[in-house]
Amino acid sequence: MIKITGVTKSYSTSSSEVRAVDDAYLDVKQGEFILILGRSGSGKSTFLGMLAGLIRPTNGVVRFEEMDISILPEDQIAGLRAKKIGFVFQFSGLIPTITALENVMLPTLFCREGPGCRSRAVDLLKKVGMSDRAGAYPRTLSSGEMKRVAIARALINEPLLLIADEPTGDLDVDTEFEIMELFRQLNHEGTTIVMVTHNPDLVPYATRTYTMNRGKLAERNGPGAFGTGMNGPAFQQESLDLP
Amino acid sequence: MSNRMDFLTFIIASIRNKPGRNLATIFCFAFIAANIFSGQFLMAGAEGGVNRGISRMGADQVVVPAQYMVFLQGSGPDNTMAIIKVEPSIYRMNSTIKDTVGKVGGIAQMSPQLYITSLNTPKLSSARVDIFGIDPVTDFTITPWLQQPLDHPLEPGEIIAGHEINGDLSSQISISGHVYTIAGRLDPTQSSVDNTIFLRMDDAYTLAAIEGIVPTSAPRISPGDVNAILMRDVQNENPDSVTAHVRREILSAYPSRNISVIGRHFTLDPVSQNVHGIPVLLNIISAFVVLAALPLIAIIAAMVSHERQREIGLLMSMGAKRNVIFFLVIAESMVLAVIGGIAGIGASIAAFFILNKQGFLNSALQVTFTTPTPAEISLMAGLALFVVISIGSISSLWPAYQSSMMNPYDAIRRE
Repeated sequence: MIKITGVTKSYSTSSSEVRAVDDAYLDVKQGEFILILGRSGSGKSTFLGMLAGLIRPTNGVVRFEEMDISILPEDQIAGLRAKKIGFVFQFSGLIPTITALENVMLPTLFCREGPGCRSRAVDLLKKVGMSDRAGAYPRTLSSGEMKRVAIARALINEPLLLIADEPTGDLDVDTEFEIMELFRQLNHEGTTIVMVTHNPDLVPYATRTYTMNRGKLAERNGPGAFGTGMNGPAFQQESLDLP
Repeated sequence: MSNRMDFLTFIIASIRNKPGRNLATIFCFAFIAANIFSGQFLMAGAEGGVNRGISRMGADQVVVPAQYMVFLQGSGPDNTMAIIKVEPSIYRMNSTIKDTVGKVGGIAQMSPQLYITSLNTPKLSSARVDIFGIDPVTDFTITPWLQQPLDHPLEPGEIIAGHEINGDLSSQISISGHVYTIAGRLDPTQSSVDNTIFLRMDDAYTLAAIEGIVPTSAPRISPGDVNAILMRDVQNENPDSVTAHVRREILSAYPSRNISVIGRHFTLDPVSQNVHGIPVLLNIISAFVVLAALPLIAIIAAMVSHERQREIGLLMSMGAKRNVIFFLVIAESMVLAVIGGIAGIGASIAAFFILNKQGFLNSALQVTFTTPTPAEISLMAGLALFVVISIGSISSLWPAYQSSMMNPYDAIRRE
């Protein structure tokens, strides 16, 4: 579904060149739940940005369904995002001036052939447990509620890929658990998910896990390596450069 | 809410839920719209008042039988007054004289008048009532005095009644057994017009043919007879010069000197010049306001766009193309312009209504302010709205371009 080959993203500063992502490779298959672990500033958000076509790589190729999106014109990438990619940010990412339901329906503005009707938005809010807050404005929602609405919004156009950039970063443990269960359910229903986090506790949710350290992406021991979660021996023995 | 999210809903929601952010912009648009609309409204009202006044100033020249001049001596119209109608006289001429007079350049309108008779009928008026025939199609001296414009041309059997004539609109009066309907009533003129009834020329000839209507001492009235041809000059034409030309033409056509010309001896120029100075001043003020507002609104639009960078980045992450972002910023500015424009125009109309009711506009403009017609007001409102929408679009072009060219990832990460 997505194949990333030798992708690098460099930023020039006055004195030097910083490689936010350095020669990364990743092959995401349909139905996978990829987790990328890394500390703040490790380059994982930049990597997701390239995956979603929000950032153009300095080098390398990002193929989405055989299309090299790193060289596609901006409007074509936007069209691809509208139809095939859902994005959940660390911050709520909701538009404050419209209701939860309107926020969920918002992406349908940019994807005419998408399902995008009101009934689907209502169904999605129901799915994320927010049907009773459909008419609420974001300022009246808790962080967890906002995150749920953001997930519903990311799913409105039935994307092939759901990208989540530290979606539980600012949530308490209970809410984090609820959100991750929601991701697990979506993944079981067939949604491909790529998610970055700095929380190793979330590893059990993934089908494959990668680490990002100073821009370098590396797979950690293959599928099932972290099957027993953060208390598992394999994870404990990993010398991850994590907080 | 509709089944599908639409841009207008999104834009309206953005404006509605951020009133503080948009209030300054709306106020600016309202101020511009009010300024433009007020300028147009005042100009039209003042011009309307002056034009109405000018139209009521009567004829610039009157062509009459020579005997009429003799008749006038000591009892005729004061030449400093407007010539609305000629004095009753039994001296007539044929209306074909219009063909001769019509050859003179500088004449805009010509209309005949025919005096039939005078009646002492207390039922119609306490004073003596003059009966005149006019041509309702060419008339330009009587109809401007109508209290309300006629909703149809004066038809056979219909009359226009002077201010002192008894009878309401649509009521009927009888003259020598002939029944006429009052189709229009005139404002007071403080002259003999107030006690005059005006008929169509064909009705006048019919009435004149009735035995006893025209005094036996006077010549009979035949179709084609008129007492006078009243003339209105082309605007900005010198009336004295036109009068001289008409005199020359008539002298050449009627060497027997049985036709004379009376010219008006006062001028309207100072009044019209005063009023024509107002539009220039108001247009300069409007242009200045527009020029001053353009950069101001552009700065506000740029500030708003800057404040909304993350929101714009989010929209791009959802798949909004650059042209959509450009359109959104422009459209939001246009919606603000429409809201501000309507508010400004509405406030202006309300203010003018109150000021006019208090008589303030008449005293401020020093002319009788004539409220423009609803069609004229709609046109002015449309013009003001068009200007503010144009300003809204133009001033948000640069912010819209900048927003559309933002890198979505950078925009999202900005606080």
